[in-house]
Amino acid sequence: MPNKLFKKNKPEIIYTVESEIRHPWRLLGEMLGDVIASRELAWRLLVRNIKAQYRQSFLGIFWALIPPALTAIGCTFASNAGIINIGNTDIPYPAYVMLGTTLWQTFLDAFNGPGIAFKSSRSLLTQIKFPHEAIIISQLGQTFFNLLVKLIFVVLIFLVFQVPVSWMIIFSPFTFLSLILLGTAIGLLLIPITNLIKDVANSLQVVILVWFFITPVAFPVPNEGIMSIMVKLNPVTPLLVTARELVTTGEISYSVAFVLVSLLSLLMLLIGWLVFRLSMPFLIERVS
Amino acid sequence: MTINLIQENTQESIWEDNKTILSVQNVSKKFCRSLKRAYIYGLKDITSQLLGKSRKSNCLRKDEFWALSDINLQLKRGESVGLIGVNGSGKTTLMRIIAGILKPDNGSIKVKGRLASLSVLGAGFNPILSGRENVYINMAILGLSKQEIDKNFQNVLDFAEIWDAIDAPVRTYSSGMKARLGFACAIYTNPDIMLIDEVLAVGDFSFRQKCYRKLSELRQNGVSFVLVSHAASAILSTCNSAIYLHKGKVVMTGKAKLVIKRYEEDLAVNKGKKITVNPGQMAFPEKLKNKNLDTKLQIITISLRDSKGNLIERLTTGKGAYICVECECYTPLKDASLNLIIRSISEQNNCCLWLKSCNDMGFIDINPGCFVFKMKLPYCGLITGVYSIKLNLSHNGTYYTILDAVESFKFQVDGIDNMSQCSYYQPRSWEFESR
Repeated sequence: MPNKLFKKNKPEIIYTVESEIRHPWRLLGEMLGDVIASRELAWRLLVRNIKAQYRQSFLGIFWALIPPALTAIGCTFASNAGIINIGNTDIPYPAYVMLGTTLWQTFLDAFNGPGIAFKSSRSLLTQIKFPHEAIIISQLGQTFFNLLVKLIFVVLIFLVFQVPVSWMIIFSPFTFLSLILLGTAIGLLLIPITNLIKDVANSLQVVILVWFFITPVAFPVPNEGIMSIMVKLNPVTPLLVTARELVTTGEISYSVAFVLVSLLSLLMLLIGWLVFRLSMPFLIERVS
Repeated sequence: MTINLIQENTQESIWEDNKTILSVQNVSKKFCRSLKRAYIYGLKDITSQLLGKSRKSNCLRKDEFWALSDINLQLKRGESVGLIGVNGSGKTTLMRIIAGILKPDNGSIKVKGRLASLSVLGAGFNPILSGRENVYINMAILGLSKQEIDKNFQNVLDFAEIWDAIDAPVRTYSSGMKARLGFACAIYTNPDIMLIDEVLAVGDFSFRQKCYRKLSELRQNGVSFVLVSHAASAILSTCNSAIYLHKGKVVMTGKAKLVIKRYEEDLAVNKGKKITVNPGQMAFPEKLKNKNLDTKLQIITISLRDSKGNLIERLTTGKGAYICVECECYTPLKDASLNLIIRSISEQNNCCLWLKSCNDMGFIDINPGCFVFKMKLPYCGLITGVYSIKLNLSHNGTYYTILDAVESFKFQVDGIDNMSQCSYYQPRSWEFESR
């Protein structure tokens, strides 16, 4: 038995009733410690999920492309037939929609990520104690992976339509990151409510649909009317528009809003993480 | 059932004791019976956790009940403790709190060292992936780094005996193979404390033997066990001490042997509900009054007697006794027989004995008057428990016309030591000869 190997460093764990938030520094330390401890597990879970996802399907990676491609085709038809009236876009419309839907889909992936991670790991969570951050990090990895796959197709579309790109494109990863951060933060904040009250989970479908319509995914930001106000109040707008502008024109129209929303996302992520961490034992108790 | 809560030493000194690797202090846990309320309470509790307020977890809200209350437990390195109790007594809940899956509502738990749970084998196994991939994932979940897994991988394979199938998808494994692989993964995480929850009910006989051998090897290496079972044998063979839980409360703690004895006695008598036992004798005086012309024979009393013929309240395993049936006969009867069935109430009404006097001594003829049927038991072969006798007297030989019957005469059998793993008493003697 190579038992003695592990006898040296004995972790000591204490479980009590008291809320960990009473000792914020210790909590923060534990949170960081768990992230570090869970990176290997997160990586394994990510690889497992991706392998399992593609091992069973013949089209494999193409499934990542199909939703944005269909949206792009649909919007292009609608636009050509004059069903929806879209202002002038800087680049050919199919490429515009493809890029927009990819960005929106990425935000949505991140937004749904924590919920999906919790649901799919439910049996594991109720059986074994492990750093719960692992499932969130692994899901984040999945979101990044999906984004990469989609970007390959965006690049292909751009090549087909010979869309010129700006040199500012090198800064675009920051905008992708902001989108994912915002989505994940909101997803984490909602985890206790959506899992404890089913009505909220159901109404989220409607919320997402409305949200899609007030996000300039398939159209430029309108300049007047109620729609214009709603689109501008939408926190996703500055992130998505900035991402698109960095890729295409290089002229940024919402720089202040972008920075503000990004910082806000970071703060929300921290709060979301806290909510997730503190609510996990209660959620596990109620889903097991 | 009397509940004598044994208060353990709760002084701080235990915490500083170097040898203590698991300390459970005054732990309580409550659950909610109403699903909707449980969700609402969950939201409230999460909110107060986030705000850092006390969630007043020591009092019950509507529809809540204590699943565990005031549990104390100290485990030193190399010691093992068994948790015993009927279903719903809180054993598994306590295990899950120790494992850190559930948060206690009162008290605290301190764990020193690596803890492995054998409650579910192969948690997180993905059926699509190969055994090899799953071993790596499972052991990573259990907290090992890649180097540690690499180091132990061959051991896991050897123990699980899945050498050639390791690269096949886990979906194609038999349930035994899955259990073996899961067990091997958990064993080779090199834990200090192992939580074992009724787990060894899986796999075939030889694999179970292998598991027990491995577990005793681990025990010799100083690994502590917390074993949950409602089978006494597993706890007796593994644990020094035991805790007997009933409805979330500690009924008794102490030496495994004593606790198991108490548990089995309670189990025999109560089994959750109260059974009134006839105190060794049952008489039917009202029958004599209701007598009519057709009545040919009546059973007057049933009684238990010791070998000297004195009335006794209970039988004792291994001791001699008589079961006596007193009757009054009104007309001459031919080819009569006393037939009785003894069922164990403690063990799901299992039929233990099905006896007919005619099988042993042939049919008998009865003349009018009073008489007694005595069934002699040189040794009472029944083990601890509550039993019920159903008996009747018949005549007309194989045509089996019932003269009179008693539906149920309940009596108790007291056990003797070292019988907890036996299903009946075997009269025996030992000899030892050298050649």
